Amino acid sequence: MTAGATIRGLPIEIRGLSKHFGPVVAVDDLSFTVEPGRVTGFLGPNGSGKTTTLRMLLGLVHPSAGTATIAGRHYQDLENPTSSVGAVLEATSFHPARRARTHLRMAARAGGHDEKRADEVLGLVGLTGDAKRKIGGFSMGMRQRLELATALIGDPDVLILDEPSNGLDPQGIAWLRDFMRYLASEGRTVLVSSHLLSEMAQTIDNAVIVSFGQLKAQGTLDEITAGMTGVAMRARTPEADRLAGVLTQAGIAFRRLTHDEVVMDGVTPEQVGPLLASNQIVLYELAQEGGDLESVFLSLTAGLGFGEVGAP
Amino acid sequence: MINALRAELLKMRTMPGVWVTFGLAFPLTVLIVLAVLAGAGGFPGHTFYYVSSVSQRRQLLGAGYFGIEVLAPIIGLLCITSEYRQKTITTSLVLVPVRTRVLLAKVIATAVWCIFVALLGLVAVAAVALPWNAALGGVTTQVTDQIGAVVPGLLASAVLLGLFGLGFGTLVKNQVAAILLTIGGTLILEGILIALAKAIFHYDLNWLPNGAGAALAGDIARGFGGGNGHDGIKLLAWWQGGLVLLAWGLGPLTLGYFTTFRRDVT
Repeated sequence: MTAGATIRGLPIEIRGLSKHFGPVVAVDDLSFTVEPGRVTGFLGPNGSGKTTTLRMLLGLVHPSAGTATIAGRHYQDLENPTSSVGAVLEATSFHPARRARTHLRMAARAGGHDEKRADEVLGLVGLTGDAKRKIGGFSMGMRQRLELATALIGDPDVLILDEPSNGLDPQGIAWLRDFMRYLASEGRTVLVSSHLLSEMAQTIDNAVIVSFGQLKAQGTLDEITAGMTGVAMRARTPEADRLAGVLTQAGIAFRRLTHDEVVMDGVTPEQVGPLLASNQIVLYELAQEGGDLESVFLSLTAGLGFGEVGAP
Repeated sequence: MINALRAELLKMRTMPGVWVTFGLAFPLTVLIVLAVLAGAGGFPGHTFYYVSSVSQRRQLLGAGYFGIEVLAPIIGLLCITSEYRQKTITTSLVLVPVRTRVLLAKVIATAVWCIFVALLGLVAVAAVALPWNAALGGVTTQVTDQIGAVVPGLLASAVLLGLFGLGFGTLVKNQVAAILLTIGGTLILEGILIALAKAIFHYDLNWLPNGAGAALAGDIARGFGGGNGHDGIKLLAWWQGGLVLLAWGLGPLTLGYFTTFRRDVT
């Protein structure tokens, strides 16, 4: 959490959540918590149940079992839902003949907010100049921004974003990343699902990784990557033989790749750095392997690539 | 509830289809005015003649009924099916997560816009039919005397036919199919069924939507014989027509709510 941020967000709690579509199990006994003041990534391959989970949280899909609550209450039971929660679900939920400002005025009315808020949120997402344009003429990126503006209409404490960077250009993605960080810095709860892992790694504080509708890992990025047995350090050194001796003495498993490259398994930079320094081993390169979010994700989701179907 | 209703009213105001129905209400009414004044003097003999009998005066005043008959169900259909067609149902249910509230707001918004269509028909009558009738030698007050007998039924028919469209649209989410089925069903199939029932079974099939609407609207519905049917069918009493039309609206709406509207939005 950003230092000095006031907590204005609400916790999201998913407990034993399951959803069956006939014989297909979309979400299977899923439990996790999302804390305020942080950006939490909800990660998993396509078809892993992310969208279904978010829709259950918003009351759009009825759970087969379990609960999904915001501050201990179901979304539809919140006193003023749009003041508590804003959601970006799909960038196609617009009437093409409606103008951007009209769409937002409609959203403001539905939530019981001042219609002037429409212009404010248009400004927040950089669409002020397009307020009077019909949404049918909007690009995908503009629709994503408008969807985000809709989510912000009630100045909510919780933001739920389902693949919000879809259709955004690199500048748009960078803008979205900064925007999510800004919202979290205000103490809001930000839950964002995405398959763009490299982008997520730069944005999120916490991650919830799911596969086949089941929870695979939850925690801060450091906690998740540190807990991985697949984490390794690769060192390139002119003293590979002496390094091998030091590692053997320290009880660290290693592999020689080439005459000057050694891979040390199951260690972190914090463990191996001081060891090499104390033994005054000259290094040309020391790099962590397999501990990045993408490697962790691939490991936890059984190697299912992005775009592949993770569940029937 | 008020917030949801205000949002629904704005949604419908910004829907091109609703404005198309508005655009059609005036010319459809004028078309019926033309037919009423053409038929007032009897064929052959007069091209146009002023209305004189009570039935004719009511028909002239209620000339907007044909527009209501066609357009009110479409307004109800547009209100719900456009949500599915444009996939805006997701946003609507996120903004107002209590589904009964959304549906109730749609019922009221449909009623409001259907009343506007009915009023537009009355405006067309005031702007075209009354001056024309007066120019032909008719007495305007003899027509306006029938306001009490015609207008309440006209407005009630508009509301209930709109409810019928909304209910049907809740059941059949596909917009094009719903419009074709409703218009085809009420304007074509209903007429065929009435004729067949009369010819084969000598039965007055007067409880279908338009027949019920005609009964509620009183003596104004053309093609139904003006209540006691010398050449049409015997209509229900106005209150019976109202109840039957209410059932035609609430039945599909209730069924649609439990089978479609409450379903998961995936």
